[in-house]
Parts: sequence; C-alpha cells; structure tokens
Amino acid sequence: MNLAYKDIRYSLGKFLVTAMGVGMLLGIVLIMMGVYKGMLIDAKAMIEDVGADLWVVQEKTLGPIAESSRLFEDTRDVVAAMEGVAAAEPLTFQSLQLPTPKGPMRVMAVGYDPFGKIDPIKRLVEGRVLLHDHYEIVVSDKTGLHVGDVVPILRHRYKVVGITHLSVSSGGVPLVFVSLKDAQELQFSYSNNRIRSDRARGVEENPAHFVNTIVVKVKPGYDKERVAKDIEKNLHKSVYTKEQEENILSINFIKMASKQIGMFTTILIIVSTIIIALIIYTMTLEKIKEITIMKLIGIPDSKIVGMIGQETLTLGILAFIFANIFAHLIYDKFPKRVVLEADDAKKLFAIVIIASLLASLAGIRKVLQADPTEAIGG
Amino acid sequence: MQAIQVHNLYKHFGKGDNIVRVFEGASFTVQKGELVALVAPSGAGKTTLLMMLGCVIEPDSGQIWLGEEKVYDNHWLIKDPRALRRKKIGFIFQAHYLIPFLTILENVTMLPIINGVPKKEASKRAMELLEYFEIADKANEMPAHLSGGQNQRAAIARALANDPQIILADEPTAALDRKRTIDVVKMLKKLTTDKNVAIVMVTHDESLLPFCDRVLSIENKKIIEKPVTPDMHII
Repeated sequence: MNLAYKDIRYSLGKFLVTAMGVGMLLGIVLIMMGVYKGMLIDAKAMIEDVGADLWVVQEKTLGPIAESSRLFEDTRDVVAAMEGVAAAEPLTFQSLQLPTPKGPMRVMAVGYDPFGKIDPIKRLVEGRVLLHDHYEIVVSDKTGLHVGDVVPILRHRYKVVGITHLSVSSGGVPLVFVSLKDAQELQFSYSNNRIRSDRARGVEENPAHFVNTIVVKVKPGYDKERVAKDIEKNLHKSVYTKEQEENILSINFIKMASKQIGMFTTILIIVSTIIIALIIYTMTLEKIKEITIMKLIGIPDSKIVGMIGQETLTLGILAFIFANIFAHLIYDKFPKRVVLEADDAKKLFAIVIIASLLASLAGIRKVLQADPTEAIGG
Repeated sequence: MQAIQVHNLYKHFGKGDNIVRVFEGASFTVQKGELVALVAPSGAGKTTLLMMLGCVIEPDSGQIWLGEEKVYDNHWLIKDPRALRRKKIGFIFQAHYLIPFLTILENVTMLPIINGVPKKEASKRAMELLEYFEIADKANEMPAHLSGGQNQRAAIARALANDPQIILADEPTAALDRKRTIDVVKMLKKLTTDKNVAIVMVTHDESLLPFCDRVLSIENKKIIEKPVTPDMHII
C-alpha cells in the first residue's frame, strides 16, 4: 500500500497548486540558466556571422568590441597583400539610438563594405543585403521596422532593405548593418562647426578614414597563428584568432554576468528548497495525529518516513515538470535571447531531487520525533 | 486461557520532588473472551496502563505476559514492540482516528498488508469485518463521508483486522450519542464471544459496566477488581 500516493490522491488539488507554485519558482531558475546560455550564444553570434579567421585591431587593445580600437582604413590593403591572407575587410562598430515604431532603440551599427569579400549578414529573413554605398540599412526584426521603411539617422535618411532574425551584438543588442562609408560618417565625421573649430586649431585629421578592425580570412593550408604573428610583427597591430576573440568577449562580457546569474540561481534554488521543506513540514504537521496513530497501531517508521520522502520527491518532480512548462511558455517573451537546453533541465532535475531529499529531512525528523502516546487521551 | 497477565508492576514519572508514582505493585489478569472495564478518576493512570500493555511505555519493573508470551520482565523481552502491536494488539480510541486519506477498506486492510497478508486475502477479510459491522456498503468511502458511529465501527474493524488477541480501547464511546454508545459496547461484548478476544476498555460511563464481564479500578496505585452490579457507581 503506497501511503504517499493515497495521501496525494486525497489532497490532489492542493498538492498540484503547491507544485505549480514551486514550479514557477524553479521555472525562473530555468529561465536564468537560459539567459546565461543566451548571453554565451549572443557573445559569439556576431563573430560566427562575420566568419573571419583573424581580427586585426589597434596595437595593445582588446578591440573592437571589448575595447576601443582605431585603424586606418588602408591597413586593409597592406594586410590583404600579406602572405597567407585570402581576404581582408574593414568593419566598424557603433552604438546608436535607432528611431523605431517601438520608440528609440539601442542598436549596434555594423559598417561593412557591401562590395567586399566578407559579408557579415548571415541571418537575413526578408529583403536583401546592401547593394549600394549609401543610405541603405539592414535591421533586426526586434526593431519592428519593415522593408521599405525609412529611418532618419543623424544627417541622413536610410531605407530599410533587409530584415535579420537573432542578429545581435555580444551584449545581446540588436545589430543593424550599414555600408562602411555611411558607418564611417556616422562614427567619425564631425559636425560642420566641429570641423571649422578643428581647422582653426590647426587639426587637419580626416577621421572618416578610420575603421575599428580589419577582419581577415586566411588561405587554406596556412597556419592562422603564423599569419597573425606576421601581421602583428610587420604592422604593429594586435591580432586575434576567432577563438581568441570569442574568449575575449566571453571573459569581458560574460564573466561578471555569469557570477550575477549564478548568485541569483543559487539563491532561487535555496529559496525553492526552503519552500519545499516548509510545505512538507507543514503537510507533516497537518498529519501528525494520523502519524502518531500509525506509530501506535504498529506501522513501522520506514513506511511513514517513506511516505514523507515519496511525497517530497513527487512534489519536486511535479514542480520540475511545471517549471519546464512555465519556462517554455514564457521564454520567448524576454527581450534578450533565452536558450532553454536539455542539459540545463537535467542539471536542474538533479538539483531538485537533491533539494527535495534535503527538504524532506525536516518532515522526517518530525515523524521520528512524534510520540505515539500522544495519539491517546486520558 | 489468559490473554493478559500483569504482575507487580511499578511505574513512576518525573524525579526528585516532582516524582509521581502511578503504579506500585499492580497485578491483574484478563482472560481470553473477556470484556474488562478499567475505571478510575482522571489522572489515576488508566492511559498509562493501556500504553504499558501496548508496549508503548516502559514500566519501571514487574512482569507482563501477552497471551503465552512474556514481553516484559524488568526490561522489554521483545525486540520490536511495534511489530508485536501490529500482530497481537488492536487499538480503539475515543475518536475513530481513521487515516483520512485512506478509504474505509484501505484503513482496515493497512495493517494486515504490512504484516504480509496478500492484498486480496486482506481485502476479503476486511470486507467480512465491514459486513459484520454493517458498513460493507461504505468500504470505498472516505472516513469524512461517514457518520461518527459508522467511523467508530470502521475503527473497530481496523482494530480486528490483524486478528489480535487483545484489544485496548480508550473510551471508545466518548464521542458517541447514547444509542450508538450502547450499540458499540454491545458489539465489543459480542466480539469477545464471537472472536474470543480479550478487551480492556477504559470508560467513565458507569452505565456501560453491566455489559462488561469484570470491572478493574485503579486505587492506591494498585489494580482492584470491583463486582459488576446494575446499580454500581463509579467515582
């Protein structure tokens, strides 16, 4: 006779509602894990999309995302001429407030050469890539803009020609793509007043010829590390392989966030454990009279403790199932990418089982302490 | 044939100035097939005696036999008192104290199944008991759906389900009205003759004493036998 099953059957509604409540809490834990996974994927998504083997940046910087980096655009020509280099293209990165139907939205504008050999747009779902040097833009679907819309940015108006999906910066900010020339103007061109003022001060710099990085594709058969070292040595630039660049972004963008999320997740798991323990303890207290009767008429402790343990485990497992349902219902409502993975669910399941076993200890202790003489009055 | 024999039993609670001596040399026997009432003022030790007979509370010294088995001789002679309880003793309480999340049938079959009786056999036996107590039609109901009297009859059926030699009943009619009280006591009396079990029933209700074979009273920390007369008065 399974006492736990009978007891749960008797108070099924209450048990399910309790499991749902705990499940929502555990669902938040799953979401937090998903947010972290999403950040990891976001951090690498842009690097994956660009698809370059090497990233050439300003010497002794971790640019172009983790730190500021400035290179002359013509560095591309020198890099492209080096042995082992199949293609070299400049890129710029700049944060913008983009006017969208949802209001101003923070985006990262990627400037690239539409006629170059490296195309960073890999997630196009509507329209086309850039085909002209000026006043075209490809935007993320998160912006709410449509193909054909016209967006004013600084001095010019840009026509939306393409829409991407899940195209984000390493920080999870939606990407927009403009031509290198437009991007340079957006990033490096000053207002007329500033230019006049600079001239008066004797500054003749033409900043519009700067870029943030040169991305490189290495010819097949060449060692990427070796080509990187050659570029570093000859051009006095810092060069990172794709893996190094991913690592830089992971360390810089994810490390602190991972600690933050880890703290939140740990606290939520502890709170869930305490809540399960309190629920089981309360459920045990509600049954204490029956438990003393059971002990008095001769039911062994193992049977009663088994009931409490099985109820706790059932509560934990049901809560875990509700957590998954809840998390899958809401994860796509979050503004940034949330990735729910089976591995995380498995980890949470193991944690829930351990937490449930720990949580049952309070109830089991109460069972073992229950005095059968209290069952009988007199 | 004796069902219970108690010899020279001592029991006290507390220590020092707060010591309370409950029994000093208490002795008595209960034969199989007897319904014995245990009467005494509140606090005299009725429940303590039931708990000692049920191997729940350990006496200070003395001897206790349950059936042929000596279970206590200045210390417990049994390793697992709870196993002994579920095999040899049935308990009936003031309230029915059925397990609320089990059906009537499950309440009655619980102990036999734990004792190793196959479920089918336990159910058959339980149904016989429920028929005996005229509540077979309530077998699959939850206790909350039955009246107080029906539940008390189910509790008695539970106490009998493991074929006990002894039933310890602590004021089993305290929560019942007059008619049901008489019904239950008549039923207990019938059980002693039909099933040959010994029943020790704690009661404050003197009107029930004429139904009993013997009346034991706790006086001066000893067990005294009182004659059963229709007009007897209990302190």
